[in-house]
Amino acid sequence: MDFQSCVNIKKEWDIVGARQLGRDIARKIGFGTVDQARIATAISELARNIYLYAGTGKICFEAIEDMNHKGLRIVAMDDGPGIKELSQVMEDGFSTSGGLGAGLPGVKRLMDDFDIQSEDGKGTEIKAVKWLR
Amino acid sequence: MDQKLKDIVIGHSDDIVKMWLEEVNKKKSSDYTATISDELFESTNREFVNVIFTSIEKSGLTNDLNDFSERLINLGWPLSYLTDGMQVFRRVITEYILKQSEQIDSDYFAEVLRKVDGWVDPVINQLVNEYSGSWEHIVSLQRVALQELSAPLIPVMDNITIMPLIGTIDTERAKLIMENLLDGVIKHNAEVVLIDITGVPVVDTMVAHHIIQAAEAVRLIGSRCILVGIRPEIAQTIVNLGIDLGKFPTKSSLRKGFKSALELTNRTIEDVQSKEQDIENLIDSLNRE
Amino acid sequence: MRIPILKLHNYLLISIQIDLDDQTAIQFQEDLLSKIHESGATGVVIDLTSVDIIDSFIAKVLGDVVTMSDLMGAKVVLTGIQPAVAMTLIDLGIHMQDVPTALDLEQGLIKLRQELEE
Repeated sequence: MDFQSCVNIKKEWDIVGARQLGRDIARKIGFGTVDQARIATAISELARNIYLYAGTGKICFEAIEDMNHKGLRIVAMDDGPGIKELSQVMEDGFSTSGGLGAGLPGVKRLMDDFDIQSEDGKGTEIKAVKWLR
Repeated sequence: MDQKLKDIVIGHSDDIVKMWLEEVNKKKSSDYTATISDELFESTNREFVNVIFTSIEKSGLTNDLNDFSERLINLGWPLSYLTDGMQVFRRVITEYILKQSEQIDSDYFAEVLRKVDGWVDPVINQLVNEYSGSWEHIVSLQRVALQELSAPLIPVMDNITIMPLIGTIDTERAKLIMENLLDGVIKHNAEVVLIDITGVPVVDTMVAHHIIQAAEAVRLIGSRCILVGIRPEIAQTIVNLGIDLGKFPTKSSLRKGFKSALELTNRTIEDVQSKEQDIENLIDSLNRE
Repeated sequence: MRIPILKLHNYLLISIQIDLDDQTAIQFQEDLLSKIHESGATGVVIDLTSVDIIDSFIAKVLGDVVTMSDLMGAKVVLTGIQPAVAMTLIDLGIHMQDVPTALDLEQGLIKLRQELEE
């Protein structure tokens, strides 16, 4: 299974669209219901971040495989303002929007691998991978 | 050259076998095979060396080799017996060939070594593969077995369910336990779940963290958790590590936990007839006589 | 999209059966609060059996609704949170500690009655 698909995030409703597509792909790869929920929730958090802070961006899904297991890679990209306080946003309870402050650290806990690249003024790219158990 | 060396080896197989057996026998006393009877050791050695020779003769791996290694694996012989045996064979055979040759220069020497390696190495590889294959197989079987006994959920009464945890809890098992627990709560419509950790040998911060998370998830789906089976040493580690279990009820034994589970579901245990009553009845009946 | 709110004696019953987007969630928050105001309901059960994703935003809206309703004198119980959803919330670090929960609608109503009688 080798495919890649992307969802553009422009409107609020795209958040729901992105997580529904992500959940479908996760199911096709063979993830159980609990991991499907984890993946869909992580996508929802990432998509909301794009919508709230960058305005527009996209989220891509890719079925990946290494030596002994399959997985799903989610890449969230935007050309927004970037994140200035990278270490701060990874702390629980830090929020600039009045939310729960559980977004990014939560995504990190929901997924297996997590990598964030962000530069002030140059946008943000987040890669997160969930491996099939 | 190839054929010549082969002829030397095959032609003098009796001598070589004798030398090999002597060498291998020296190893026996001090080694892994000390518990194996002399006759068995002898016959296995003979068979081993025959298998080696057949594979050299046919210049390739044979079914004999597979059968032989399979049998040794089943009998539980250590892999080191085979690898040591092959190394001794390499040494013996190299020595023997060199002794038999008239002119020895470095080219010839290198050629002999290369040739001998070409006979010995495939056999070693084959043996190691067979052994590690069987180990991997065993490990994967055991992993499945462990998962199966992982976390049973026992509905003991309407709305009360017990989950006894046994053995070491790692992250993977903790996730499995949590899934079983939550699915079971829904399935049995359990208002109260007792998690019994009597069988968990060590409760460190990681294990405590997993248990707390499970308890919180149970609360979210609308049920309640009581942690039971907290032994004195576990209570000590929990406090010493600064783990806060204050948010959900704990009890030292399953019995106490079950009692408070009954209270939570508005029930109590009542004796059908109390002991005192029995004794009074007995005295009464004696008086009447 | 609006979520229907049913009234039963002093209670309001809500069963959320759609994939909640942010706008619907906020609309629901407003609808519920004004319904509590109109009807003078003392208890609310929100059933989440058919909800398969609660992310941090929806969790916040739900948590807020519980606190707000409490301020207006109506107790809220969340029922039927799915195991997968519960585990995801815990992973996110959202514990919703002050929110009463129950297994299903029936037990939610029992819980409400107990709490309101006390």
